[in-house]
Amino acid sequence: MSESDIRPDSDQEWEGLLGKLRTQSLAQPRPFFYTRVQARLATATHPAWRPGWVRRPAYALLLGAMVLLLGGDDTALAAAGSAPVAASAPAPR
Amino acid sequence: MTCAIPLFSISESSACAEAVAPTIDADAELVAQLQRGSEAAFRTLVDRYQGRVYRTVYSLLRNPEEAEDVAQEVFVEVYQTIARFRGDAALSTWLYRLATSRALKNRRRAQAKKRFAYFTSLLGFGNEVLHEPPDHAHPLTLLEGREQFELLLAHIARLPDQQQVAFTLRHEQELSYEEIAAVLGTTVAAVESLLFRARQTLRKHVQPSFRHV
Repeated sequence: MSESDIRPDSDQEWEGLLGKLRTQSLAQPRPFFYTRVQARLATATHPAWRPGWVRRPAYALLLGAMVLLLGGDDTALAAAGSAPVAASAPAPR
Repeated sequence: MTCAIPLFSISESSACAEAVAPTIDADAELVAQLQRGSEAAFRTLVDRYQGRVYRTVYSLLRNPEEAEDVAQEVFVEVYQTIARFRGDAALSTWLYRLATSRALKNRRRAQAKKRFAYFTSLLGFGNEVLHEPPDHAHPLTLLEGREQFELLLAHIARLPDQQQVAFTLRHEQELSYEEIAAVLGTTVAAVESLLFRARQTLRKHVQPSFRHV
């Protein structure tokens, strides 16, 4: 694109366009902006308390696995083989 | 000379970090009060700068909801970190710096999210419809020259980050070259170069519609 292709008044049009840009940039935040900042600040400075390890997925998964392992009865183990069933059967009189 | 853009320690770049603000003494006093924990001072700060911060963020995001959200984040960060503000740069410079960096970060996050959503939709994860963000075109764009104006906005959004920040701070916030240099942590010459390249790119894309009117 050579400069000669540009109409002589294109500079004016360009300036006009930039003028529009300045005019449209007079946007303002919605009213009561400060109140919303305060609310956000309150949330940011006093977040809901949770121990740090809860926020780590690896710890949460490990905890879940341990609950499943320790909290379950031996039904699943019993179904897996006969030996454990015999071991857990009542002693003969 | 290019300067790093640390948020608080810009003493090494004082030559390029002298944003001239008309209320620089008032701001220094405001910072002192803020550092003493004055809530009234924080309110004054928000009242004084909310428009400038919001408009700066808006000019980079073009979305009022996101702009409001990021502007709030800026003031929360100011409140939380004002104790570390050493006053090497003007308060307004620091605010513009926070506003532009947070806006760009927000935009990058949104773009990454959009790319991820597109990728997962291609792989067939989730069947939700991808909604395009709402178009918040300013009413001015509905007036004469709407197409050109929209074209200009679209191409501003595609400029490299530094060029876009320099261009919007100059042509929308009407900051001086020195102020822009302070915000970007660079030299006036570098700002001139950024603006030259930005204008050149924009005129190249918007100019054809001028030529064939």
